[in-house]
Amino acid sequence: MMDSEFYPVFWFGDDLEQKILAPLSCIREHESKWVLEFDLPLVDKKDIAVFVDSDAITIEAKLRETYCDEHRKSYQYEYFKKSLSLPKNADYNKITAKFLDSRLTITLPKITQGKKIKLD
Amino acid sequence: MTAKKQNKILLLGFPGNGLIGTFTISYLISHLQMRLVGDISHPDLPPTVFVENGEILSPIRIYRKDNIYAIISDVPIFPEVAVEFVSSVAQFCKKNQIGKVIVPSGVDTQSTNSKDAKTYGLATHQSFEKIMYDKELPKFLAGSIIGTDATVITVFRNYGIPLLMLYTSCHPFFPDPQAAIFAITSLAKVINITVDTKDIQKRVDYLRIQHRNLMQETLDALQEKPAPSKVPPIYR
Repeated sequence: MMDSEFYPVFWFGDDLEQKILAPLSCIREHESKWVLEFDLPLVDKKDIAVFVDSDAITIEAKLRETYCDEHRKSYQYEYFKKSLSLPKNADYNKITAKFLDSRLTITLPKITQGKKIKLD
Repeated sequence: MTAKKQNKILLLGFPGNGLIGTFTISYLISHLQMRLVGDISHPDLPPTVFVENGEILSPIRIYRKDNIYAIISDVPIFPEVAVEFVSSVAQFCKKNQIGKVIVPSGVDTQSTNSKDAKTYGLATHQSFEKIMYDKELPKFLAGSIIGTDATVITVFRNYGIPLLMLYTSCHPFFPDPQAAIFAITSLAKVINITVDTKDIQKRVDYLRIQHRNLMQETLDALQEKPAPSKVPPIYR
């Protein structure tokens, strides 16, 4: 893994060669859950795949039509793809996802840990 | 205030929640076929120029059509320069006898349904309160306003220039041209012009993809993050 202190890492985002766009994403923390959102315009629900492993979530989606950069028509893209690290206290067995208004919302409940204390 | 000053209006748009300001003012400039009359620069803003149809454009530009001025910024206004930037806009208003300023912006909403979008008005002067009442624009009643929006409100109040903030509910972290259509319609009602948003409606998905970088840069600026290691703009 490259050490960014010695090797500056430039984040390009989109992958023109593979025709992949990097979608915008955001994560909001609530008391009992994390809510992760991806902005996926030009995508139909049936063309979205969500993968989860021990510490990361990956979104892959096929655009319903090829997207061309407005100023550089030769730059064409056909997919969205992004991987993000997951919070450590998320309950992976209870992850849910929904797709509305071209936004994918993934809800990750938090794991409740610790020993219960009895109140006097 | 002279009658001449009362007639002139400035529309101010800069990147913020949902890029509502950017989409709204950009549409108005194009729809009204406004003429480019100047630009604003600041040494502390990242050095950037855009090239469009072979023409070199500054990122912060001033347009005019009859008694309507528009200032649009294609780059986020960083907190460090916000006061100077807004003060220079206020001085521009004074110099050109502009009597009113309108700023479309976005406000975070818990609703994820775009059909629930609404525009609210926040006025600093009686004259705009009357317009809101006449146009049946609901008032922005309660909440916290931070960042460049707060600077705009504070500076224009200090300069005594009537200001109307038009807040449209939107997704704050993603470009929201769908919500901007509501903002455009509300702004058109306020300044008594007719608009046709069918073209934007058709291009909503493309606008969301096109403006990803600007949205990310805006969020970085609002969070006052240090500039990330990105490909230098010259290579984009």
